[in-house]
Amino acid sequence: MSEILERVAGGVGQGVAKRENPEKVNGRALYIADLYRPGMLHGAILASPHAHARIRGYDVSAALAAPGVVAVLTGDDVGDGRMGAFIKDEHALAKGKTLYVGEPVAAVAAETEEQARAACRLIRVDYEELPAVLSPEEGLAPDAPILHEGLAGYFKVFDAGSEGNIASRSIFSEGDVDSAWAECDLIVEDEFTTQPQAHLAIEPCGALAEMDAAGRVTLWSANQSVFRVQANVCESLSLPMSRLRCLTPHVGGGFGNKMEPHIQPITVALAMKAGRPVKLILSREEDFEMVRARHPFRIRMRTGVKKDGTFVARECEALVDCGAFADDSPGVLGYALLMARGPYRFPHAKSHGRLIYTNKLRFGAYRGFGNPQVTFAGEQQIDEIARRLEIDPIALRRRNMVGAGEPWFLGQTIASNGLPECLDAVEAASGWKDGPKAAAAPGKRRGRGLAVTAHISGLLGTGAIVRMLEDGSIVLNTGATDIGQGSDTILSQMCAEALKVPLDRVSVASPDTDGSPYNWGTTASRVTYTTGRAVVAAAGEVERKIKEQASEMLECAVEDLELRPGGRVGVAGADKELPFAAISARAHWAVGGPIVGTNTLVFEQATHDPKRGVALGLPFPRIGVYSFGAMVVDVEVDEASGQVKVVEAWSAVDAGRAINPLLVEVQLEGAFVQGMGFALVEEMVWDGPRLANPSLMDYKIPTSRDVPAALHSIIVEAPEPGGPFGAKGVGEIGINPVAAAIANAVFEATGARQRHLPMTPERVLDGLLAHDAEDRS
Amino acid sequence: MSRLLHRPGSVDEALALLAERPEARLLAGGATLVAMRNAGLVDASAYVALDGIAELRGIEQLPDGGLRIGAMTRHRETATCGLLRDSLEVVRRAASMIANPVVRNMGTMGGSVANADPGADYPAALVCVDVELELAGTEGRRRVPAAAFVQDWYETALEPGEILTAIFLPPPRTGRSTYRKLARVSGDYAIASCAMALTGGQGDEEIAVAIGGCGPGPLRDVGAEAALRGRLDDPGALAALGEALVALADPIDDVRASADYRLRVIPRLVRATLDDLRSERRAA
Amino acid sequence: MSDHVETFEIAVNGQRRRAAVEADATLLTWLRDGLQATGTKRGCNQGVCGSCTVMIDGWPQRACLSLAAACEGREVRTVEGYGDDAVMRTLQRRFAEGGAVQCGFCTSGMLISARRLLADSPRPDEAEVRAALSGNLCRCTGYKKIVDAVLLAAEELAP
Repeated sequence: MSEILERVAGGVGQGVAKRENPEKVNGRALYIADLYRPGMLHGAILASPHAHARIRGYDVSAALAAPGVVAVLTGDDVGDGRMGAFIKDEHALAKGKTLYVGEPVAAVAAETEEQARAACRLIRVDYEELPAVLSPEEGLAPDAPILHEGLAGYFKVFDAGSEGNIASRSIFSEGDVDSAWAECDLIVEDEFTTQPQAHLAIEPCGALAEMDAAGRVTLWSANQSVFRVQANVCESLSLPMSRLRCLTPHVGGGFGNKMEPHIQPITVALAMKAGRPVKLILSREEDFEMVRARHPFRIRMRTGVKKDGTFVARECEALVDCGAFADDSPGVLGYALLMARGPYRFPHAKSHGRLIYTNKLRFGAYRGFGNPQVTFAGEQQIDEIARRLEIDPIALRRRNMVGAGEPWFLGQTIASNGLPECLDAVEAASGWKDGPKAAAAPGKRRGRGLAVTAHISGLLGTGAIVRMLEDGSIVLNTGATDIGQGSDTILSQMCAEALKVPLDRVSVASPDTDGSPYNWGTTASRVTYTTGRAVVAAAGEVERKIKEQASEMLECAVEDLELRPGGRVGVAGADKELPFAAISARAHWAVGGPIVGTNTLVFEQATHDPKRGVALGLPFPRIGVYSFGAMVVDVEVDEASGQVKVVEAWSAVDAGRAINPLLVEVQLEGAFVQGMGFALVEEMVWDGPRLANPSLMDYKIPTSRDVPAALHSIIVEAPEPGGPFGAKGVGEIGINPVAAAIANAVFEATGARQRHLPMTPERVLDGLLAHDAEDRS
Repeated sequence: MSRLLHRPGSVDEALALLAERPEARLLAGGATLVAMRNAGLVDASAYVALDGIAELRGIEQLPDGGLRIGAMTRHRETATCGLLRDSLEVVRRAASMIANPVVRNMGTMGGSVANADPGADYPAALVCVDVELELAGTEGRRRVPAAAFVQDWYETALEPGEILTAIFLPPPRTGRSTYRKLARVSGDYAIASCAMALTGGQGDEEIAVAIGGCGPGPLRDVGAEAALRGRLDDPGALAALGEALVALADPIDDVRASADYRLRVIPRLVRATLDDLRSERRAA
Repeated sequence: MSDHVETFEIAVNGQRRRAAVEADATLLTWLRDGLQATGTKRGCNQGVCGSCTVMIDGWPQRACLSLAAACEGREVRTVEGYGDDAVMRTLQRRFAEGGAVQCGFCTSGMLISARRLLADSPRPDEAEVRAALSGNLCRCTGYKKIVDAVLLAAEELAP
């Protein structure tokens, strides 16, 4: 990486404010619910009251006659198209069958939202109830009712091994785990369970669709990818993609809930039927019941080591509840299994699992994507081993962690690895060996826990278009949806740095499937690295064209030219220079054509090296580029109630290169609190077939008073050779280790292992009392 | 359907409206009623807003030293009222832990108490300090002791057409009191809560304890309390009080906690709350 | 089949506005759909998330739990209505520059609660700030930079 002699205003490494913040703090940023179109109608959805039922027919006459109603939609109105990220198993609206309580069955467009909702209640659906499958175990039973009778005929993007109620299965291994146990001096084996968690982005899902006179539809929606919206809507409604243009307003958070479709296909279908624009915004309760949530996992894990602490073998078996539709689930299973070995050297490792359809809402992408669940299991086992061998937990990890140049599970070479520095950082910052700073107050117990993690940054396709406007300003278009995490700003910072222009001379186009290059989506912590690479490459092409122009205008060789901060190009070592405006004017009006740089790529590093291991049912053949993290937490357990409070936490992350350190910190802090909710408080609870707590009265997330006052974010930089300025992703790494670190701390405080999430006061009190009883006896 | 919002200026006017339109809903702070309306659980044809009735507002000291809290007093006002001291401090503390500051600007004591949510914060505190609730009807006004107000899950002594108008507190007794709440996150309804007051001199201390969140209404056993008089530092005696309260408990399993956990935690909560009061006394 | 419509005046952001709404329409619906003042958000419609928090007669309240008709004669202020109020401007700037704004959906409500806090307590400590904001949920930031922004704004306004 070359020296930058003069700082670029707002360039890489600076904690600049996000560019859209002035709009947001003045209440002027427009989100989907804030958009209005002339003649607009409001949509509402009728949700299925049954977990599993055939739909025999509909009577919509009363609904059609209700005040203000313009159109009513049922499964009969949508074609047979099926969508799905990995297995195309889902219609736009339930057709022929309903598979979960809350599934959209019909929809209404009316003049007001209240009228639309009232009319929905007048739709009569003739159901024939079927027995429901309410757990993966039930789904696997030999006589289980089958949810997807047409499963064999669904299109699958990978070798999923689908059959019966098994949506997919994956098996990955290296070495020979079955024989390796015999070599181990110590083996720990446990079963862990984790619970469904709701995303709870403060903005509920919504969409607004409008068809023009030529039959072309414009669709705005709360989304994490305008391109996934386009594909899903067109596949489910059997429309050619050229007939749908997808746009994005500001998005009020996603965390995975808005990556795959929610109600966009329904909204488009309603708008097409009504012949008028339709806006449909879900209530909070509908957002809970209708969309998606984090997968509950049942994990059986086994870790074996030598008595000197050298790791020998790890086996992870996962049974994952898919919910009614596959959505991103096969990816979550596969990714969890890929991460289950952890950032360690294990000569023998095997992870395998099955994903089972059940009659509950679909489980899908949620920050961490299976990693928080397997980390909860794996990092507790490492701690347990450390305890039994009487080796310090940090020392044990250091001895066995995988380093730069070594392979990740299944064989991809890790090019950059800041995990040692992350461990050093949290060890030093927390005063690890000294334990929690303050002694426990009367009636409380304190404990300290550690966990480490890794996460990917590179996945699937992306692109960038960098254009120079007539006056030398720059427009960047990547198609990446900024969901609030700041990708617009970060990518502009990269572009500004690459061209050495001040940040305020770079504007960013809003994602538009008509004008933007394809971007798979804002997910998987991938935008900084994957899209960043395209931005830097596209800017590189612009630089080349600037220099070609300049070499003619300044009559010198291209190699003699350098870009200078402020948007200038000049002859190195001389005063001769030109502003970009002059270059651009010549390009526009005289010679060469307007300057545009483009780049598209699909992440190319293979996940699996067949010489290293076996992979069956690998949903992502090319995924990788690893960020790393280490975390220490101090907890306080109330002896009377078992309630756990996090008192202080240190989260160190290897970001490769922090393009915007302020935004990296916010990712770590936000991820920590969301992880704390996962660890201690949040749980979607089913009462038979229906969700018992689909409301904010009953499903609680941490408030400002529930988070540790002292939350320390530490940025480590181990530059990734192929990364844009060395950067890697940081969106998810901060959530993965939270539950494990807290569980390890609770163990130290109470002497009891928590193998089930969330760690409610009841579970912790049970553990504490049982351990105290053992101690006494 | 024609929906109407009435804003009477007096209790009598409000009572007359209720008599005329029995299906009308009383609107206090709106925290519960409007939330239910938004969720489609209530579709009222008429609302009778109580915020225009002067006599329902405010906290005043009475000639005998007791307090009268108007039913429309917002939690914020109760939470910052200096008159709620010593044995009455528990009421102030309970108010300060309801929900969050924004909801405390809206919610009212009368609205909360009349709703009788088992996880709410006032009931245990009001039972602990032996308040009387004034109910107004077209026939006149009557008072009901706090302990008798909640009759079943979400059911109170309020008859159809009656309005809760005021809460009467006895004069504060010298001592300390507190409210300890076990909840999943700040501002949630209580899994279980303990309202406790200690009064009387050294060696002759009296305790009053009420438990919330473990049945339709708060739990209190004055007999067990009397047996503890002067013996508060006897762990066996305290345990007996805990057991007495457990015996009265009728908790449910809900998304916040299991019934079993609530039963187990009651005696622990009592002990921990007493410890809290002891620490406060030492620190003072 | 007509619903009775209440007509009345409410002062919104310093201007008297005439409302014609059903008796049980919420203030939130009227602000957003009636006045197109969309800075106030609907996150849950149950009064829990806080994204609908507005100032009514100087006190932060939930617009989703307030009947518009019951606000007759009151003064409502939304995040769009602070003009050149120095305290609000400072809070907004500190939020925008300090990493306290991610998706921004909670921001309007946070600013209203913070505005009231600084009126009551010009130099609050961290615990007071956390308590004042405990009725505004944020899922993106983890609250730390929001709390920091309020403390910095307070320090700037009352050094």
